[in-house]
This record gives sequence, C-alpha cells and structure tokens, in this order.
Amino acid sequence: MFNLKPIMKPAVMAAALSALISPAFAEETVLIAGWGAKSGPLRSFGVNSEAVLKAAVKEVNDSGGIMLSDGRNATLEYIYFDSACNAEQAISVARKVASETSALIGIGPTCSGAAAAMFGVFQKTVGDDSDTGLQFPILTDTAVRNGLAKISQWTFRNTPNEPDMYDKLFAWVAKTYPDLKTIYGGTETDQGHSNGTYSKVIVQASKRHGFDWATGAIEGVTGDLGSGSTEVLDSSSNWLMADTNFSVQARAFKKSNADIYIISSHPFTTCGMLKELKRRRAEPKLMIGLTSSSSAEVMKGCPDAAEGMIIPTSFAPITPAAEKVAMLANENGGDADLHSAAAWENVMIIKRVIESVGIGNTPETLVADRRMIRDGLETLEMTDGLIGEVQRVQDEGEALKPYVFVQATEGKWAVIHDPRAMQ
Amino acid sequence: MAFYFGLLQTIGIHTLLGLSAYILLLTGQLSLAQVGFFAIGAYVSGILTVIFEYHIVPGLFLGALVGGLFAFLVGFPALRVKGLMLVVATIAFSEIVRLFFFNLNWRVSVNGVEVGPDSTQGFREIRFYAANGWDTLDVVLFVWLFVVIVMALLWWLDRVRVGATLRAVGADELAAQSSGVNIVAVKVSAMTGGGIIAGLAGGLYAHSATYVDHLTFSVLLATFAVAYPILGGLSSVFGTLIAVIFVQGVLIEGMRFLGDWRNILFGLLIIIAMNVRPAGLIDGKVVLRIREALGTGKKSGGEGHAETR
Repeated sequence: MFNLKPIMKPAVMAAALSALISPAFAEETVLIAGWGAKSGPLRSFGVNSEAVLKAAVKEVNDSGGIMLSDGRNATLEYIYFDSACNAEQAISVARKVASETSALIGIGPTCSGAAAAMFGVFQKTVGDDSDTGLQFPILTDTAVRNGLAKISQWTFRNTPNEPDMYDKLFAWVAKTYPDLKTIYGGTETDQGHSNGTYSKVIVQASKRHGFDWATGAIEGVTGDLGSGSTEVLDSSSNWLMADTNFSVQARAFKKSNADIYIISSHPFTTCGMLKELKRRRAEPKLMIGLTSSSSAEVMKGCPDAAEGMIIPTSFAPITPAAEKVAMLANENGGDADLHSAAAWENVMIIKRVIESVGIGNTPETLVADRRMIRDGLETLEMTDGLIGEVQRVQDEGEALKPYVFVQATEGKWAVIHDPRAMQ
Repeated sequence: MAFYFGLLQTIGIHTLLGLSAYILLLTGQLSLAQVGFFAIGAYVSGILTVIFEYHIVPGLFLGALVGGLFAFLVGFPALRVKGLMLVVATIAFSEIVRLFFFNLNWRVSVNGVEVGPDSTQGFREIRFYAANGWDTLDVVLFVWLFVVIVMALLWWLDRVRVGATLRAVGADELAAQSSGVNIVAVKVSAMTGGGIIAGLAGGLYAHSATYVDHLTFSVLLATFAVAYPILGGLSSVFGTLIAVIFVQGVLIEGMRFLGDWRNILFGLLIIIAMNVRPAGLIDGKVVLRIREALGTGKKSGGEGHAETR
C-alpha cells in the first residue's frame, strides 16, 4: 500500500488554493468602454480623456469598487479604443463595444462630427421596437456641439452648455469693462463646433448685452440664438482648421479697430491666429476665445500671444477635487481640461447609477443592465461635478455644468471670475 | 454580430467606391473626382429619403443617377487633360463639390422636426434603415446586393469586347484610336459609369453612417478610392475587393488594438504590400493561376491584360 499521508496535507492545501483562485471566486468586474481620437490631428483630446478615465477608474477601485445589487463589490475595468474622430470608425467601435463586449456603458467619441454620426445609429426612442438602432447607453465627455444628445434617448452628454456660458460671460464683460463697446471676430468655418458656437451663440450673446459689431451692424442678428448666423460669417474674417497662414484675417481684425476680438477656434488655429495678431501688433482691449481653447495646448503653444484672453470653462483646478484630477491626469500622461475632466465626472456618475439601479452584471442580464443604466441616467437631476453640482436636463440628455471665466496669465489659465455662486 | 455586419457594410461601400475608380483606371484615367460623385450621391439620396421621405431604393437610384450625370459633365473637360493634370483637375472638382455642401443649408420641417443639410453642422439623422426596422443583417444584404451586381457587371464587361476596349484605351490610347476606337465615347462612358457607382456608394454610405458633412469627403477618401484598385490590382475586379478587405478589415479594424502604433503600421504595411506585389495583390499571374486551377484558364483574354500595370 502507498502511504498517502505525507502528500495529503499539501494536496488539500493546493486544492483549497486553486478553489480560491478559480473563476467562481475570481474578483467580479464591471466593464465600461471609452473611445475617442487617439490618432490624427485631434489626438490630444483622446489622450487626455483616457488619462483622466484611467485615473477615475483607479479612484473608484481604490475606494472599494462598485457595489452590485447583491451587496458584493466589483472592480471597475475599462477598455479604450481609438476611433480617430472618424464617423465610420466611431460607429464601428460603438457596434463592437455593444455587440462584442460586456461593457455596460460607453464614453466617447471625442469629436462632435463623429458623435453626430454615431448617435444616429442608436435607437431614437427607447422601447420603440420598430427602430432597430443600437441599444447601449453612452455618456459623452467631449463632443460639445449644440444639441447632439437629442439624437437618441440612449445618448447622454456631460458637456458644457455654451449658450448659457457666453450669455453670462458677455453680461460680466459689459459690467466689468463698461468702456468696451465694439467687437470683431472670426472662426474656423470648417469645424462645426467652432463655427456653430461663434455664428449662432457668441455673436448673438454679445449683441444681447449691448456690444456693437465694429464694422457696422450685422443684418439679422437680434440677440436671439442663431439669428443672422449666415450674415455673421459673412461679416467676419474666418479661417480653416488646416490653415497655417493668418495674415489676411489678422489684418482684418486690426483694421476693425474693435475693442474686443473674438477668436472662435480650437487650440491649433487659435495659436496661429494669436501669433499673427501679436506679430502685427494688433492690440485689442480684450480677447475672448472658444471654450475648447481653454486647454493646456494653448498654454503650451502660444502663452505669450494668448496673454489676456478670456474663456468660459467648465473646468479649472479651483477645488481640491479638480486639483487632484489635474494632477492625476498629468501622472497618466495627459491634461485635465473642460473636455477630459468630464471623463472623471462620468465615471463617478456611472458608479452612482450602477449602485442605485442594482444591476445583475451577468451575461444573461447584460441587455437589461444596460437599459437600467440608461434609465438611471435619465432620472438623474443633479450630479457631482469637479467644480460644483451639475444639473441634468432630463428631456435632452444634456448637462448644465458650473463654469468659471479664466484668463491667460503668465502662461497659465487663471480664474478671474467665479459665477458659480450665482448659477 | 452587429459589429461584423457593420464591418461588412463598410467593406461593401468602400468596394463600390474603389470600383468606381477601377473602371476609370482601366482606361488609364487617374481620377480623384470619385469622392465628389460619392458626396453628390450621399447628399442627394439623403435629401430624398429624409426631406422628401422617399423609399431608399429610388433615393439611391436617383443619387447614383445625379452622380453619373455630373461625371458625364466632368468627363468632357477631363478629356483635355491626362496624367497629373487630370489628378489636379479632378481634385479641384471634388473640392468644389465639398465646398458646395459645406455651404448648403436646406432645413425643412418634416413631421415637426427640422431636418436637412445644415452647412458646417452637417446633415444628421439619415436614419432610413433603423427607422424602418432594418437590422444590420438586412443592411448588409442590401449593400452587398449592389456590390455583387456591380462586381458581376464589371466582371462581365471585362470578358466581352467592351472590357477589351477599355483596356486597350488604358494600355495605349493612340494605338486604340488608330484601331478605330472612339476614345471620347470610351473615356466619357467610363467616367459616367464610375460616377454612377460612386453615387450609389455615397447613398449607401450616408444611410449607413446616418450623418454626412463636408469633412467626410476629403482628399484622403479620394486617395483611398484610387488606392483600392491600385493596391488590389487592375487585372481583376476582385483585386479591389481584396484591397478593401486588407485596408478596412485588417489595417483599420484588425489593428485597432495596437492603439497609437496602428497608423504607423498602416502606412508601413501598404508600402510593403506595394513593394512585394507591385502590380497589385491580385495581379495577372494570380488571375491566370486561379483560372487554371478552376479549369477555365486561357492564355489570353480579358482578365490578366493589365498584369504589368
């Protein structure tokens, strides 16, 4: 007979250990997916978003993970895809995530154009069985063009509300700088966000608060959103995103002799335009920029030329939480700005919703879980933001985020006005 | 499966776009106007199904027709230039089309919702498929029905006198003319045919993506359109399909997991492919081998003529 006694004890221990590390005892995970531009000219947006997303996921896990309906805690995991700000690729990734992964919700896809296309392949109205669109919740962090979330009831955004921001900005400028009366500006016309915000929001807001167009009143602009937008573009000196020469535009700006210049473009051409204005010694009394330019790219690319520019933004490191996110983003190789910082808030919103709706988190309940998360997002009235509470506009899937006005000062964005108490 | 069906849609649409350039390349015309016809087809069919609430079939048909009409009109002045000058002229045409749609603002209220092209804000919610209960499999079958028809038509053309005429013009225009071939008719017909196919592809794209704007129809897409048949080879209509599968399926989707390295490898693999197979992935020799293996091999014939191209 063999003596089994010497090997029994190690065998039992090995069996117990293997049971502990077997799938049945493996740590449960909740998966979310992110995608955005990690290649192409807008790569920095995706890099920043992923950096913040990574930090937020770690924060959730460090604080115990996500509690499931049965009381167990699950670890939050994320996957991130490059969709290159391309409509076809954004749609493809959305389909991949929805049909090939167990991700419960998506955060993406950076650009407004890609979002406009991607949102279109989602089911328009929840529960409409005749609509075969994707049924997968999205909570976008970056795409800021007006009104996108309305495309589908499965799509939500946590992006700034620019009409409100610019309205308050011009009200504040009118009060703070009573001597400034005239404005002149331009935009990168081939970018929907820059162009739309400029021609439909910014110029109208300036009109509403008593500013005059430096080269004569623009026909049709009444102060109402979108009024006279075509005429606004005709009366402005514009450029394209791929432009590298801004001499004609800068000359027109200088010739306008306006008190305030409006430069509505993304960081890349904002810097080009600002440098040309500086070279030509065009010296307005104030410059106002597009929300998207309140980012590190401008401070890295043209801090001297941008000196004095004012921009409303929904992110600035003015609270301990915002400071922490800015630091963590840097540690992860990115920057926190008004776009990317929303990824942090989104992860916290997702945690809150998942814990409140009580998901099963099994392959069998995946479809129902996604629907519950969508419904949970829709019922939110208020969420915690990095610089204050964020109101949800439930019918539209949009957000009303708190904001501050920042000014380029010695190579940094400095908060010069904090209207949060009044919001 | 929605992802794979979606990928098949993309491959199908890009194959049609590539085939629109293929037919022109057979006649020796390198055109970057295909993206212009693609844009025309996309906007026309989108406007018809969204604003005028047409069914997608007549919408696509008319989009293709308008694309073909513009190609026909472009075909005549294009006869005056060739080679690099034709490339420049056709880029100019595509830019004119792109800038036209960049400025096109045609918003109307349909069922209480404002729809239609909104210049730089793009043309949203071209949702015929989803709104009419078509699932991704239905859409794939629909797209590939057109792909099969167009490929079969081009394959057949390549095996009859018309194909030989096209290739003759492409191989040596002067010799073809000396043999009594009507160069004007051949080139304009090829341009028109390419325009119809590109317009059809554009219509399918608009309904698949649900959104188009002027940025969609960039020079990059025009480059892809001519790169597909060149990379795939002009010896067979199937070369374009293989190239699209290689680019869209392998390089873009298959390597997505590589993250930032994807774009570097993308260019590198295309360079390697072009060096290893200078006459295209499916060159004349491959075509002959396949035909011999199938027992249909001929020492001469329509396919295989352009193997040295």
